[in-house]
Amino acid sequence: MSIESSVDIITEWDIVAARQLGRNEAKEVGFGTVDQARITTAISELARNIYLYAGKGKITIERIADGAMKGIVIIAADQGPGIPDLRKVMEDGYTTSGGLGAGMPGVKRLMDDFKVDTEVGVGTTITATKWLR
Amino acid sequence: MNVTLASYIRENLNPILESWKQFMEEEEEGKFFQIMSDDMIDSTAHELGELMIFSLTENNQEFARKVEEFSVKMARHGWSISFVMKALTNFTEAIYHHMGQTGFLNDNNSGNYIRLINNWLTPLNHSIVEAYSKTWERTVQLQKMALQELSASLIPVFDKISVMPLVGTIDTERAKLIMENLLQGVVKHRSEVVLLDITGVPVVDTMVAHHIIQAADAVRLVGAKCMLVGIRPEIAQTIVALGINLNDFTTTSTLQRGMEQALAITNRQIVEVEEQ
Amino acid sequence: MRTRIPILKLRDTLIVSIQWELDDQMALSFQEDLLNKLHSTAARGVVIDLTSIDFIDSFIAKVLGDVISMSGLMGAKVVITGIQPAVAITLIELGIRLEDVSTALDLENGLEKLERELED
Repeated sequence: MSIESSVDIITEWDIVAARQLGRNEAKEVGFGTVDQARITTAISELARNIYLYAGKGKITIERIADGAMKGIVIIAADQGPGIPDLRKVMEDGYTTSGGLGAGMPGVKRLMDDFKVDTEVGVGTTITATKWLR
Repeated sequence: MNVTLASYIRENLNPILESWKQFMEEEEEGKFFQIMSDDMIDSTAHELGELMIFSLTENNQEFARKVEEFSVKMARHGWSISFVMKALTNFTEAIYHHMGQTGFLNDNNSGNYIRLINNWLTPLNHSIVEAYSKTWERTVQLQKMALQELSASLIPVFDKISVMPLVGTIDTERAKLIMENLLQGVVKHRSEVVLLDITGVPVVDTMVAHHIIQAADAVRLVGAKCMLVGIRPEIAQTIVALGINLNDFTTTSTLQRGMEQALAITNRQIVEVEEQ
Repeated sequence: MRTRIPILKLRDTLIVSIQWELDDQMALSFQEDLLNKLHSTAARGVVIDLTSIDFIDSFIAKVLGDVISMSGLMGAKVVITGIQPAVAITLIELGIRLEDVSTALDLENGLEKLERELED
């Protein structure tokens, strides 16, 4: 069982749209304020990565249920350049954009499960899940 | 054949249970039964016997409900899983034993009956054990929740000063809860200084220290100061030995000293009132 | 929706209360506006109140950090007030510590703190 909705990331404004969608979904699933902030922030980071590195892509928010467990999955997909050195990207403090470099490992810490599928020249799909406790 | 078997067991339930009890008493010199009264042994044994007969004659749904009821009761009595397993094995033994004695089993039918009894008891044992372990898991879950509830509350002591005593082992999940309670408490009580008391934390390793540092950082972001108090000598030793850097922190050995410093930070002090 | 964040002046302090979720453009124009205002008023302190903000990502955190460093270069001290627990936790988990940032529980405490720091 799942309900999903998505936002295309093309302009900077779409980052705002994506995180608003995420926050509403998180609220409806029943997440507390701290988890809402975690989910919203994770979406913002992922959407910004798409905007900065791939140019365009898509954020999909999916509500999931596994037995008694409920949760939210964020899927960030793009057909951008891919990530050549995934291990480096997952290191704290690594950045190519001049930001704070909190991006990927930070998002991983905010969520419960975190998975990256990437291929150079083909694109990147990041799946991040948060379970309601 | 089911019905014959069921009625046979029902009719002979008392002697079967007698020999079952005897088997159980022989186990480790009867230590299992010493903790229970005779009445309770009798009624529980009967319940088990009836449950087994029930499984031969009634439908699955009703049976599943009964098994759950029974296993909840066993878990409440505090029976261990190994005890339950032994009880089930011995019950099977007792049935064979009795059937052999009364001549119910003979060379002609024994093959069929053994198969029947096996087909009956194996899934029955499985479902009892499964129901039991489910009940057990639920109990553990509840205890975990109870532990989380009682842990980590922020206590406002003076105006602008609060204390959070931490007791027990800190894992990642508890650390998150502690951080949330800490920050929400700081904002709610408008505490300018909060003392994190780790007197009751048995071990401070790199991970626990990391969680504490994060919590203190977050406290600073909401606009308050976090002090670490209750550092016992052995904790101080491990912190230094592990190379954990707590230099950015105000730390004290006792809550009392910490409180004095907290008052100093908020421009106050405790003075003795002179007698008149 | 090109609203600008109002910047108020109280004696030699600037007070900013951010009431809406910041998008990237708004964050950047706020940075510019604040620096211009600092320049034109010669204020010595800034209090930025974030009580209504329920989320900060690394971009906004960076803009805030930059604003604080830039204000410092222009000779003004910045105090951030009212960071919500949820926001603080997310920032820490993201790995953003905002180490040199001066903070206070609310606007009132923030103004007091600023006054104390400017006296030193």
